Amino acid sequence: MSGPGRVTLRGVVKRHGAVAALKGVNLDIRPGEFFALLGPSGSGKTTTLRIIAGLETVDEGSVHIDGADVTRLPPGDRDVAMVFQSYALYPHMTVFDNIAFPLRMVGTPKAEIAARVAEAAGRLQIGHLVDRRPGQLSGGQQQRTALARAIVRRPTLFLLDEPLSNLDARLRLDTRVEIKTLHQTLGVTTIYVTHDQEEAMTLADRMAVFVDGEIVQVGTPEEVFDRPNSVKVAAFLGNPPMNLVRGMLAGGRLVLEGHAIPMPGAGGNEPREVTVGIRPGDLRLERGGIPATVYLSEVLGEGTILNLRLGESLVKARIPAKRRMATGAPVEIGFDPACLHLFDRTSGLRIATALEKTGA
Amino acid sequence: MTRGVGRAVGLAVAGLVLLVWSFPVLWGLVTSLKTERDVLAYPPSVVFTPTLDNYRSALVGRQSILPNLWASTMVATATTAVTVLLAVPAAYAFARLRMRARKALGLYTLFTQMVPPVGLVIPYFLILNRLGWLDTYGGLILVYLTASLPFAIWLMVSYMEDLPLEMEEAAFLDRASRLRTLWHVILPQVRGGIAVTVIFVFLNAWNEFLFAVVLSGREVRPVTVAMYNFISVEQTLWGPLAAAAMVAMLPVIVLGVAGQRHIVKGLTVGAVKGGGRR
Repeated sequence: MSGPGRVTLRGVVKRHGAVAALKGVNLDIRPGEFFALLGPSGSGKTTTLRIIAGLETVDEGSVHIDGADVTRLPPGDRDVAMVFQSYALYPHMTVFDNIAFPLRMVGTPKAEIAARVAEAAGRLQIGHLVDRRPGQLSGGQQQRTALARAIVRRPTLFLLDEPLSNLDARLRLDTRVEIKTLHQTLGVTTIYVTHDQEEAMTLADRMAVFVDGEIVQVGTPEEVFDRPNSVKVAAFLGNPPMNLVRGMLAGGRLVLEGHAIPMPGAGGNEPREVTVGIRPGDLRLERGGIPATVYLSEVLGEGTILNLRLGESLVKARIPAKRRMATGAPVEIGFDPACLHLFDRTSGLRIATALEKTGA
Repeated sequence: MTRGVGRAVGLAVAGLVLLVWSFPVLWGLVTSLKTERDVLAYPPSVVFTPTLDNYRSALVGRQSILPNLWASTMVATATTAVTVLLAVPAAYAFARLRMRARKALGLYTLFTQMVPPVGLVIPYFLILNRLGWLDTYGGLILVYLTASLPFAIWLMVSYMEDLPLEMEEAAFLDRASRLRTLWHVILPQVRGGIAVTVIFVFLNAWNEFLFAVVLSGREVRPVTVAMYNFISVEQTLWGPLAAAAMVAMLPVIVLGVAGQRHIVKGLTVGAVKGGGRR
């Protein structure tokens, strides 16, 4: 895609006193893309968004939008619109005035303001609420007002900072679909900050995973989920998160809790300490598998999460059946070796194997 | 039943407190309606024929306080206007800008409030005398500003700090300049705070006596000082004094009633949220 809305960050460093909030972030966001910044709280994703918005200064590095260096440009000169986590609506103005505010600030003629506000409000189905004040709206309606205020300007860039986190679970799902639809119709580059991996997975074309002020992986949701490039990413993604157990890799074999699994194409002949990752959904109960004991079973609506004791490790397995099992019950678990993720024990980085699933 | 009794007791206690509190005011009101004979009668007469003579003499008599009411109005209004004009942007700066000297400046502003006014009267007198500003509107307003500005700044800061920062950031992103943000986004939301500031500053300037009596003279004499002149060595004109006091209280009462809602809010600002001050 070659429209406007390309964002480039190079070596961006942000310090708060002695603490580095961002330790050199590089990012290339393509025009028209829906890009998610995903990470736990305090990982630097919101700081990155605020730097792109111009609300935070950088200590080192540069920010470019469509090739122009905007590193030192004030927020108003960047042609970006943002939806804040708190919505940041102006409480003393009506919905109409809130949506009209960005247009009034640039001296748009009255008739055009009325038309564009009506269009934006209509698109977000709040046309009937324009005379109310934010205090008289529900959370979801406030959220739509904030979105309308963002789209009414037709900016080159949308920045969304955890826009769904203040909504209840049901509304969150509905709004998620609407945000995706909005992006598809408007085609404006959208940068979306979230700590909710499900949001990132469902919404984003591509995403960047933040850990401790650094981007640890960039890719499509599938790439990141299926091939996490480090233990950090593996541990963060997935619900419940990926099981991580200690193992030993030697001579094309992986030794896991005393069981040897052929692992062609991985590692050399030197024994190597590894962390083995396997997603709970990839574990299954299987006769002749590795013996384990049930520690706790959590029956969910659509299946069961078994907490198992496997040797010295605790692992979770998600099985499709609803089965409440007694604590201490013996089970045998199996898995497809291709589903295993291997990471170097010291560096935490992914180790390639010949079995690995390649993309989608 | 017990609830009814509790309520009655509560009301009785409140009534008693109110009576004690309002006694001087009521006494003043009664006195202002008495003839001089009734005022001086002992034991005090409760039943008497009310008269408006005192009001006539206070307002249009030889010692009419009308020019003094005008002087007080001028001084209090100008003090209030200048205070709000300067305190609002100053408070915004204190609340929002990341200045190196922010804390020191804030403390400095507060220090000026820590000196007892009596200690300042003589220096102020000497300064104004040297400037030739004794007995002028400018001199008195200037002196009142030294007290009202710090107070107003600190009051307004607490209001502004309670506003979420994100709202301003949203305005910046919507291409509003800092001044337009202040005007369109901040000010409408701190109207209550401005109302409280106006009321407090105006009343303080209106009621001020100590500085006024020392720093004013024949030209500019606020009503508080003029009332004092009803007390002389030979006699005290209690009736006209009380009448003048009643008249001088009117703007206080009007402002108080009009701003009651804001005042109560102002006294408890930050008490609930508390997270505003950083």
